[in-house]
Amino acid sequence: MSLTNDIWSPIAASGDLPFRHVFHGQLLGQEFAAWRADDGHVNVWENRCLHRGVRLSIGLNDGRELVCQYHGWRYANRTAGCTYIPAHPADAPARTITNRTYPVVERYGLIWTTLGEERGPPARPELDSGDLLTLREMAANAPAAMAVAALRRHGDDGGQEGDGLSVTLTTPEGTRAAFFVQPVDSGRCVIRGVLAGDRSPDSIATLRLHNERLKALRDVIEAEALAAPAPEPLAPVYAPVSAELAEMPGLLKAGRRASLSVAVSRKWAAGADVAGFELAAVSGGLPTFQPGGHIDVHLPNGLIRPYSLVNAPGETGSYVIGVKRDPASRGGSQTLHETVREGDLLAISEPRNNFPLRRDANLTIFIAGGVGVTPLIAMAQALDHSGSAIAFHCFARDEAHIAFADRLGALKSRFTPHLGLDPVETEARLRTLLGQRPVGAHVYLCGPTPMLETARRVAAEAGWPEAAVHFEYFKNERAVDAGSSFEIALARSALTLTVPAGRTILEVLRDNGVDLPSSCEQGACGTCEATVLEGEPDHQDVYLSDAEKREGRRIMTCVSRARSARITLDV
Amino acid sequence: MSGFASPDPVTLNLWHPIAAIGEIPPGKVSATVLLDEPVNFAKVADGEPFVWRARPELRAGDAAPSTRPADALPSLVAYGYLWTSLGTPPEEIFAIPEYAEPDRRNVAAASIGVAVSAPRAIENFLDMGHFPYVHTGILGEQPHTEVKEYDVETSAERDEVLATRCRFFQPMASTVAKGGMEVEYVYRVPHPFCSVLYKSSPLDANRQDVIAIFLQPVGQERIRAHMMLSILDDQNDDTFIRRFQLMVFGQDKPILENQFPKRLPLDPRAETPIRADKSAIAYRRWLSAKGVTYGVIPAAA
Amino acid sequence: MIALHDYELSAECYKVRLMLGLLGLKWRVVPVDYYPGAEHKTPAFRTLSPLGRIPVLEDDGFTLHEPHAILIYLAGRYDTSDHWSPREPRLAAEVAQWLSFAVDLDASAGAARRADGFFEAVDADAARAEAHRLFRILDEHLWFGERQGRGWLCPAERPTIAEIACFPAVALSEEGGVSRQDYPAIRRWMDRVKRVPGFSVMSGVFPAAPGR
Repeated sequence: MSLTNDIWSPIAASGDLPFRHVFHGQLLGQEFAAWRADDGHVNVWENRCLHRGVRLSIGLNDGRELVCQYHGWRYANRTAGCTYIPAHPADAPARTITNRTYPVVERYGLIWTTLGEERGPPARPELDSGDLLTLREMAANAPAAMAVAALRRHGDDGGQEGDGLSVTLTTPEGTRAAFFVQPVDSGRCVIRGVLAGDRSPDSIATLRLHNERLKALRDVIEAEALAAPAPEPLAPVYAPVSAELAEMPGLLKAGRRASLSVAVSRKWAAGADVAGFELAAVSGGLPTFQPGGHIDVHLPNGLIRPYSLVNAPGETGSYVIGVKRDPASRGGSQTLHETVREGDLLAISEPRNNFPLRRDANLTIFIAGGVGVTPLIAMAQALDHSGSAIAFHCFARDEAHIAFADRLGALKSRFTPHLGLDPVETEARLRTLLGQRPVGAHVYLCGPTPMLETARRVAAEAGWPEAAVHFEYFKNERAVDAGSSFEIALARSALTLTVPAGRTILEVLRDNGVDLPSSCEQGACGTCEATVLEGEPDHQDVYLSDAEKREGRRIMTCVSRARSARITLDV
Repeated sequence: MSGFASPDPVTLNLWHPIAAIGEIPPGKVSATVLLDEPVNFAKVADGEPFVWRARPELRAGDAAPSTRPADALPSLVAYGYLWTSLGTPPEEIFAIPEYAEPDRRNVAAASIGVAVSAPRAIENFLDMGHFPYVHTGILGEQPHTEVKEYDVETSAERDEVLATRCRFFQPMASTVAKGGMEVEYVYRVPHPFCSVLYKSSPLDANRQDVIAIFLQPVGQERIRAHMMLSILDDQNDDTFIRRFQLMVFGQDKPILENQFPKRLPLDPRAETPIRADKSAIAYRRWLSAKGVTYGVIPAAA
Repeated sequence: MIALHDYELSAECYKVRLMLGLLGLKWRVVPVDYYPGAEHKTPAFRTLSPLGRIPVLEDDGFTLHEPHAILIYLAGRYDTSDHWSPREPRLAAEVAQWLSFAVDLDASAGAARRADGFFEAVDADAARAEAHRLFRILDEHLWFGERQGRGWLCPAERPTIAEIACFPAVALSEEGGVSRQDYPAIRRWMDRVKRVPGFSVMSGVFPAAPGR
């Protein structure tokens, strides 16, 4: 028997992963935190938070995410990507902070994994015919080989097939049984047994009988192990994090690329003029996303459009977006509404988050206009799930125009619709909602430009600090003046380039081989941001707040320009 | 895992705390372990303590020798604790000037055993981000989780790491605090295994409470944490002050004991730092630069 | 008002704090400097607790000094639902059986923790071996309980003082070097105990995520 990393072994019984529990497992010296999310998915992860190495098996399973006890870092179901770092509530965690996951197969009432190749656990045809009874596991302070040898003395599985960690036999009662020995460490193992075709009326008696037999076997092999020299424990592997994470913050070289291929698994009318799309991975899983995040959809006609993700954290099997049919559409929403059907493939970017959600507010107020509900729904679901105080206000023409009404309805009394108000009434209502800032409250706004401008003005007049007012525009409706010409100096790349009238900083950078990520390319989404080291920016975006614009430290390279003859960027 | 390794020269020549002076039983031999080496200590007749490498003929609980043995290890008494060294220690120990102020309560809070390396425990002592999660309702409380920008420097002149302008919202910052407040901290790491924090006093806006942690490396992955408070508190007795400090440290203990690897990895890619960890990053670099290898996993050259 | 002579890091005192909290009672803490001060060994303290042990409870002129006796008293006196310390003879006897088991847990897992944390002079390795022997018994009992629809130590619909008596030494065992990795049924039972309304943590015990 060779204990290589390629073996597949059970590490738990299915019943070891009840609702909101975190199981502490181990295979060949490597520890796991294993947990079942509310959607049924079983996660087997390295038992260390990437931040400071604390065991995640002492963490909290909130049904959608695993929360580390030390600093509250949250890791998403399936992807194990970090979705929130409470010490920096205003920042979106780097997309690459992802815990090490192991492949999982749930079979024969057991949870199987491997440290090696993803080829699946050994098949046991005799266990395929239903009526399985999973025995109580038996942990022993003895090497796996001793357990296998002891089981073989009772078994008829003379063959050495597979990895030699299992034994099949017929019990004295005439039932077929398979025993799998899990090598926990060099000197520790767990024996996991499964009975096939057990039809005895009293399963408890059967379980007790086998439990007694396994205890006797354990006592034998433990005595044997005590008499032998103790093997050196196996050293766990602590894989290094990516170089990019070791130095913070890093600049993502993402470009405007469609790196994912997804299939439209569902398309439906999510509200009047709003089509809902559920996008599922064509192969493998989908990357971690955060509330407020968006993806770029690359349309068959060549257009690229950003859409906010509606999913709640934990709904990690797919991405959900809502697309409003825009009569003034340059072809984006129209194509999605009319041409794209269920089953079609779409190219999308990895999710990005330029509208991060703070989770440290005493009260979070969401104000959405029309299809502006989409990013705010994701945020509200996240906070509501963890019991934080929220109030969600949705302004719409009528009930039919409330998109994703089912998700909003789940917020119950935290959701208030405001229907059929004209601009004057809307402003009056916003004054009621924002007239007085509750202590420690934050507000998130998303909707059409006039409503957003009004809400921001009302909040400012009511004394809300800019840092507590978060917003995302659908698009930049300001006229962009691209008439200036200026120089850009790139501090990191040691390049000086000229941006002529009619071209953007982003275009000039790309022409010269310097890639910056971008998405909407009209100054609304924040993806193409760069840090200004020197010079005065000429802000033309709607992403930065007025205070941020005055500060002059950040610039949206897709639309903004320079007032000074020269501007130095940290690129 | 925690195999015996001869300590690096820096560690060997440090002063290490081994016991609270007030708890050394008079006239009796006491025993402890320092850097994997058993050492004994006792107070002689006039109350002066001394330390020696354990000898088989003298065991814990035996009557103490009446005079200082010839092979006694260097020792000194500072901040309520007895310190010794297995190498050649500097003449003086790092300064905590506040300790001498007459109106302060100086309390040797307790010595607690923890299964972790000393540098991991120092890093935890420097950390604020865990307050709302580990010290819930005392040193922090959700949703107030933000670690605001602060300053860190490694002072070449004083050879210590210094973090200043650290601010955090605390619901019950100390034994005399009434309700929540934003507390300002200064952290010093004047010794690879000791740290001193200064926090605004709820009683006197111009002065600071001092809380220090002195770690005795029993082995590479096991410590005794000796805690010292020098605070402005005219209301509570030592028992109450100790209780508060032990409750707080008792909350950190299971976190420390669940950290893997137990030794502090100095390779920048071993873990994921964030801005809030500036002081920890500076501390790791300082240890690397000093050449400390005991209780750490040195970065690959 | 109820007064509890209490040491924050004591597993035995935690039993009483748990019970008081679960019963929704208010109490006043009289801190005892158990470690490092060894106040429980002073003559003054021995007038309250002749054996020199903590906790001690004072209620309305009545003084009690053994944690399980205190649990029985508090449940009997203040538990209006009558489930914490049941009266039905078989059930009451099973509860008593687990209180006795809890004494062994305190003397093994508890002693190992006090040796590693507070340097109490005990044979820690022997204490750990005994703790593992007890944990195997406990895990098996709980595993079969789950199969029979019993979530608690005793065959009752709701938890009893058996839970409170056994929980602290188990929940703090890793501080004494007694890992619970091999006892998945114990780990699940701990989650269930932590989800009982009114449960409180102590230093060394983490909360569980809310259940259903």
